[in-house]
Amino acid sequence: MKLSNILGLNARTQIFSYRYNTISGRKICDSKIQTARVLKKVGIPHPEIYKKLKNPSDIEKFDWQTLPDAFALKPSRGLGGEGIVVVKTRTKGEDAWITTQKNRVGIEDLKLHVQDILEGAFSLGNVPDSALIQEFVGRHKAFRKYAYRGTPDIRIIVFNRVPVMAMLRLPTKESGGRANMYQGAVAVGIDMATGITTKAYLHGEFISHKPGTLRKLRGIKIPDWTRILEMAVEASMASGMGYLGVDIVLHPSKGPMVLELNAQPGLKIQLANMAGLKKRLERVEDLEVRDSVHGVKIAKALFAARFADRVKAEEGVKTVGVWEDVRVVGGDHKKHTIKAKIDTGAWKSSIDKEVAKKLGILDKSNVLWTKVYKSSLGREVRKVVSLTFYLAGTRVYTIANVAVRTHLRTPLIIGRKDLKGFLVKAE
Amino acid sequence: MRKLILGVLVALLAVLFAAGASYAQTRRVSPSPTITPTPTFTPTPAPPSDLTQKTEETIGPLEKLLEEQELGKVWPASPLKYAIRSAIAAQVPVNTIVLLLLLPLIASLIAAARHIIGLRGFGIFLPAALAVTFVATGPIVGIGLFLVIVTTATLIRFTLRKLKVKLQYLPRMALLLWWVVIGVLGVLFLAPLINNSSLSNVSIFPVLILVLLSEDFTRVQLGKSAKVAVNLTSETLILALASYFVLTLKPVQEYALLNPEIYLLVIFIFNLLLGRYVGLRLMEVWRFRKLISS
Repeated sequence: MKLSNILGLNARTQIFSYRYNTISGRKICDSKIQTARVLKKVGIPHPEIYKKLKNPSDIEKFDWQTLPDAFALKPSRGLGGEGIVVVKTRTKGEDAWITTQKNRVGIEDLKLHVQDILEGAFSLGNVPDSALIQEFVGRHKAFRKYAYRGTPDIRIIVFNRVPVMAMLRLPTKESGGRANMYQGAVAVGIDMATGITTKAYLHGEFISHKPGTLRKLRGIKIPDWTRILEMAVEASMASGMGYLGVDIVLHPSKGPMVLELNAQPGLKIQLANMAGLKKRLERVEDLEVRDSVHGVKIAKALFAARFADRVKAEEGVKTVGVWEDVRVVGGDHKKHTIKAKIDTGAWKSSIDKEVAKKLGILDKSNVLWTKVYKSSLGREVRKVVSLTFYLAGTRVYTIANVAVRTHLRTPLIIGRKDLKGFLVKAE
Repeated sequence: MRKLILGVLVALLAVLFAAGASYAQTRRVSPSPTITPTPTFTPTPAPPSDLTQKTEETIGPLEKLLEEQELGKVWPASPLKYAIRSAIAAQVPVNTIVLLLLLPLIASLIAAARHIIGLRGFGIFLPAALAVTFVATGPIVGIGLFLVIVTTATLIRFTLRKLKVKLQYLPRMALLLWWVVIGVLGVLFLAPLINNSSLSNVSIFPVLILVLLSEDFTRVQLGKSAKVAVNLTSETLILALASYFVLTLKPVQEYALLNPEIYLLVIFIFNLLLGRYVGLRLMEVWRFRKLISS
């Protein structure tokens, strides 16, 4: 991969974080209390806040015994997940709880911890902070087998209303049930189109199984994937941040919830996905994105993993001829068989306008953007749509431009971009 | 806001240059370069000298260089040169001027170390302050004191946690400082035993800077794992040592003193360029090597 495809700290800060984020947006991201307020305003689900503790007098006034059996105590402006106490159960007969790390904490311990938080022991530059007591989010059943004790979360980088990259962070024994990667949590890359995990990364190495077990980390299907992506975009719009990381957790019964927003999301996500973030960010920088549905559609079409390696490993390389019958998924979610030409001379795929209209692909909601194409025939404005088709039994998510092809032999040509993992037999 | 800052900057520069110009004028009134007696400088192998202190050994050669340099007109090339001479004539120690002139250089070096190489350290002020401290105490005593302070701070924090002494944050930090001071005093009490002149000559300000460092160190420890804290500390030490090396490099000192205008301009432009660098850092190239080779 080219060096220029990779996003480094210098570029993240200067080109994206500073240029596309407002000061008020950053303030919202830095404070969990502010984040919750903004999310509530637009109706994005997030863990409920039971109590905010802002002054030392709040500590004594608050009736600690009313706390539920499970909750999370957090600093509002904590850095890197520090200063968070998560309790799962209450000990019998006394006012104490057991944390996820199996430590016992009493009311006095909690009070002292809140005092630490208020004095800024966990905030940047030790500025006085607030504490909050939040609903405990348990582990969703989809992750039960893969996460150790704690709650896994999904980090999604959103830029210009398009989710560009995602990863799943799985707590391990080593990380003590925390989803922080420098503490030893596994970073798992996710295919943007399907929400299926692709690669797992831990301590500078790619791993295939959960440490110490035989559980494969590849191929985990994340439930509610489209909703998760849309939620991430909505959170970015609500906070007014052009470039940010959205952390989402899956509540066992209530579904996905936005846990926190991050104005300076880490860069390891690139390793977990084996993809350069800078290239993806530049790809969506100039697009005009209407809403979250549109943004997610663009993301799925542009950043779908090709699964080419896997296909090669499991099924062998597939051979296709020059003329193929392709099943295209239409606007009605049904598969329609149409003729296609496999054209290695073209980069992108192209579909006929009439056929696209008939299949319902040309609906406004499916059009990603319009682009001026220059060819030997002159300048032409074409619509670009998201397209899903099956070629030789393999599903391909991609984008295609719409052109008038009525005078040509096939309504669809498939370009090199969508032929990764195939061999073309020219007979 | 930007205009205001610019205005203040211009005013500041104007004052500097005016000082230089006025000195040049007074000089022109009585052009008698032979009046100043040639410094009776003997190049003796000096004991470890302290650049932050006004001592004869380090004053001699630098002042001599200033005397030897031939100056042209004040404008446009040498207003600062004249200002420096007038300040020295008014008993400002030349060492102070050299150290001040070199501070922007090491600050730029530390900035470059972060943005081009990827060494982080504790911000920019700490390594710079540490480097000046090293100049004052000598690197070995400086590192020794630094390590003593860091170890005391870590040990105390660890012990307090083990003994489950639960204190509020500020009293806890105060207690930490208490122990750090005891540790530093202990080292100073050892001075007669070791009989090290640079140890017994240590002045209060370097020690104070080192003590203040312990707060930053524990703050980082509090927020992060021990591994990160140790990494940051060693990176800070590397940066401080490199800066110390630059600070004590004779050719650099001499160049900055003799050509302050060009020197400052070059650093100014370098920082402007550095601030616009958006490429990968060297350590990031290493971090993403798997991605690059794929």
